[in-house]
Amino acid sequence: MKKQLLLSALCATMAFGLDTIAPEKRTFEQSKYIPDISLIMDASYVHRDVEDDELGHLEVPGVVHGLLGSHDHGEHAHATYNAENGFNLNYAELVLSSSVDPFFTMDGVFHFSPDGVAIEELYFTSTALGHGLRAKGGKFQSNFGYLNEQHHHYWDFSDMALVYESFLGMHGINETGLQLQWTAPTETYFMVGVELLQGDNDKMFGNDSIHLSELNATNADIEAQDAPSMFVAYAKTSFDIGDTTLLGGLSYAQGSSRLDHTEDEEPHAFSGDSKLYGADLVVKHHFDSYSSLKWQSEVLYREMDGTIYGIDDTTGLAGEKELLKEQGGLYTQLVYAPNTTWKFGARYDTIFQNDVTKANDNVPQPGGLDKYSVMVEYHTSEFARFRLQYNQNNALYEDHDDGMEQVKVQTVMLSANISIGAHGAHSF
Amino acid sequence: MHKYFLLLLLPLALSAHMNIAVSYPYIGALTKTIGGEHITTVVLAKGNWDPHFVVPRPSLISKVRNADALIMNGGQLEIGWLPPLINRAANPKTQPNAESFLNLSHHVEMIQKPSKVDRSGGDIHPDGNPHFHLDPNNILVLADTIKKFLISLDREHATIYEENFSTFKSAWDKKLKVWKDKMEPNKNKKVIQFHDNLAYFNKNYSLNSIGTIEPLPGIPPSSKHTFKLIKLIKEQKPCCILHDVYHSTKTAEYISDKTGIAIVLMPHDIGALDTIEDLTSLFDHLTGTIK
Repeated sequence: MKKQLLLSALCATMAFGLDTIAPEKRTFEQSKYIPDISLIMDASYVHRDVEDDELGHLEVPGVVHGLLGSHDHGEHAHATYNAENGFNLNYAELVLSSSVDPFFTMDGVFHFSPDGVAIEELYFTSTALGHGLRAKGGKFQSNFGYLNEQHHHYWDFSDMALVYESFLGMHGINETGLQLQWTAPTETYFMVGVELLQGDNDKMFGNDSIHLSELNATNADIEAQDAPSMFVAYAKTSFDIGDTTLLGGLSYAQGSSRLDHTEDEEPHAFSGDSKLYGADLVVKHHFDSYSSLKWQSEVLYREMDGTIYGIDDTTGLAGEKELLKEQGGLYTQLVYAPNTTWKFGARYDTIFQNDVTKANDNVPQPGGLDKYSVMVEYHTSEFARFRLQYNQNNALYEDHDDGMEQVKVQTVMLSANISIGAHGAHSF
Repeated sequence: MHKYFLLLLLPLALSAHMNIAVSYPYIGALTKTIGGEHITTVVLAKGNWDPHFVVPRPSLISKVRNADALIMNGGQLEIGWLPPLINRAANPKTQPNAESFLNLSHHVEMIQKPSKVDRSGGDIHPDGNPHFHLDPNNILVLADTIKKFLISLDREHATIYEENFSTFKSAWDKKLKVWKDKMEPNKNKKVIQFHDNLAYFNKNYSLNSIGTIEPLPGIPPSSKHTFKLIKLIKEQKPCCILHDVYHSTKTAEYISDKTGIAIVLMPHDIGALDTIEDLTSLFDHLTGTIK
């Protein structure tokens, strides 16, 4: 009797037990609809010959202040990647993507870091428009230039190119808005795109009101600009010569600028209009399936035209002045991959033009703003990469009462980038 | 005015027949054989490079963008390069849910489906080994699949596609016998490979693959594994290393040096070697090269 009971119980479990029913046969089973998921971690060990505290106060004169390191302004503190000496946990990047219906796909990219969670990207993309048209809506990396659209883990160097980071910050143009791209029906690749964006970049663009009264009792507050306040357009083309591929593009961005630094050590604010021009060229030669040589260069040029509000250095009084910044910079890098295990790279960065005009007077800026980087990568597989990188940054200065003093920053970084989950596939 | 209008229509008239993008050269050849003059094929990958690692050149975006249909191998062979091209091209006709999209792997029986899918076992294909076209019997299954696909897109020329298929089938059936006879003496021979891309070929001709030069799929050779392999070769006496054309033969040469084992270059697709111009010459070569 006991035996029989046991046997029937066993049969019942075999027939109806959860473990024995194949997932796809469960009545309301939805696991087949789970989107593609991947998780990417990026961590590093950093040795810099400048203290972390000092680093946060350094600036690229005339271009940007508080470029590297952890840096507070106002309510939000944010750090660039690899900001601290010692160990850094840069992020855990969670990527989810799937088709929504026959008309759209959706992608989400989330960065979990010790500072919190950030929606890096969250957008839907059309798949059904046809005629070479593709529309995207949500928050996304703009397709301006070449580097801007790529995520950090896809970069060949652990830090962003100097000109990008100092003009636009570590995320580049990463905005909420709409994108429309059209690929021409030609044999040669030709694509044009336009983007209408909110315009919230904290290094160059913006449309929020600025409460000048906190800084300067005599001035009225700057009113908010109507949003969206940023527009981006670009054209790209590419062709192959044997196993060499050339990809080139021209990009343009414009928008209103509202830079609120009223709560900084030296309170100031900027209000005006900005234009950014970019040209990029990538030449990549493949020797075979596994080895390649890639030369990648971009030039950016910007004009920021408006008014700066602040405390006058000499009189100590609040005031406002016309400000015009005409600045240009470039990076050029060469990366050689002899096989799928190793990669070697060198990069040169420079801000070659730095004209700052305040109230029609040229404000002289130090020259020789450049940076040199070399790196070597070791891949145990497509999913794990270890990179050793050395930088010498000659573009950073400390603002003393008696003038600017250059602080050469040398950095050695050993970073690990590891991914699990869905197989990532990247564009060229 | 009319003249200009005609000029505008000209490019459309030129591409009145279906323009079919395919991932690999063998698919292009099969599709062209069945489709004949009513289609043009555009091959995305090069036949002499690793099919897993195709450079997603922007020029390929244009090819997908301008295609009326897309035929892929599937089985995750294209996972590392085709999805961004399809995404960028934004062509409704080449979306995976479209009627004009064909995934060949859904129409053949795949072998070596792993019971455990985990990357600690290397970069494995969870749906099974995707190199199914190297069994010449599968070529007929694939040709039949492509025929049905073309008919579904272009019923008007159904009889032509049927005719082209039966012409191909009778010629291929004859060849199958020739290749079978040719391979008869090789039955039950033991072989070594670099990556198990000849699994279907080996199965069909009863070759016994006893080891690979890469320790795990997608993991480059290591000295530890190579020494183990040398020991295995000395014990089991396989006839040869069946080597693909795209990996370096450096490790194979070292092993050959230590054991005296022969290295046989095995093309995997049309264009893998200069002499491989079509599917027939591919299998003529594959079945004639193992001694």
